[in-house]
Amino acid sequence: MKVGFLHSLIRKEEKLLLDAFRAKGDVELVMLDDRKLIFDLQSRPDVDVVIERCINHSRAMHGLRLLESAGIRCINTSEVARICGDKILTSLALKEAGVPQPELRIAFTEESALNAIDALGYPAVLKPAVGSWGRLLSKVNDREAAESILEHKAILGSYHHSIFYIQKYVEKKGRDIRSFVVGDECIAAIYRTSEHWITNTAQGAVATGCPVDDKLGEISLRAANAVGGGVVAVDLFETPEGLQVNEVNYTMEFRNSIDTTGVDIPAKIVDYVVESSK
Amino acid sequence: MAECPVCGGDVELTADAVVGELMECPDCGSELEVLGLEPVALGEAPETEEDWGE
Repeated sequence: MKVGFLHSLIRKEEKLLLDAFRAKGDVELVMLDDRKLIFDLQSRPDVDVVIERCINHSRAMHGLRLLESAGIRCINTSEVARICGDKILTSLALKEAGVPQPELRIAFTEESALNAIDALGYPAVLKPAVGSWGRLLSKVNDREAAESILEHKAILGSYHHSIFYIQKYVEKKGRDIRSFVVGDECIAAIYRTSEHWITNTAQGAVATGCPVDDKLGEISLRAANAVGGGVVAVDLFETPEGLQVNEVNYTMEFRNSIDTTGVDIPAKIVDYVVESSK
Repeated sequence: MAECPVCGGDVELTADAVVGELMECPDCGSELEVLGLEPVALGEAPETEEDWGE
């Protein structure tokens, strides 16, 4: 089997996946560096399946769509990338599937966004619709901060920073949960703990093991299926009303979660890619 | 062995290094990218872009 490995930079996760593919045997890896690829809408790489590990969302989404158009099965699909790469589309997919999520508002102007935050209540969280690793998140504690942040976004940001995604602030007591879904199984989960309100490991949060009970497994699978399924990481908040899904990530990072959970995450992903493309 | 493009220090590649791999210079701490293996070439890793992530 020829597996196309769509990538740019090779980080720890990509290295672990490459090692897992090589250990699998009967797999020929074809490296597809998105910085070198040229698509002509006619030809196709000689591969049976593609696993996507790009670092740029825009390249991943379009690269996957182009490869799918050439008749190649891709994991994850371009549709999963399109939905997960945009928080508004993710929230819509979760809502349409009845998956619990924090209350949110979406507005397109500074004035309407300010009204939305006022109505939602302080503190609120402003997030870029496209973005990752906890970057450019703003916890808005009062109206003065809201006015300032909205003005900065509108004037200094590119046009998509004026698409305002506003989430009700969830008091998560210093931690959230990240679960890992591969196919129809929630294979593992971690707590991400930080004294900072942003509990992203890319921002310094510490990972510890989290047991996958029935509730966590079920909501994780529902969230994964809502965005199209495949190999995804689901970020969840623990609230008095139960678990709520914050985000779903389609090029998931797991370097801190293998030893922590005792689960060979790259091997699980590789098995899924190979099995699902037979 | 390769030379760090930032500080000129020696950087040792692992036997399983691949093109595109990120690594850190042990001397200056710069994040580097493996640009080639035969011959070995290192460059500074690109800056984070807005749509980078998971």
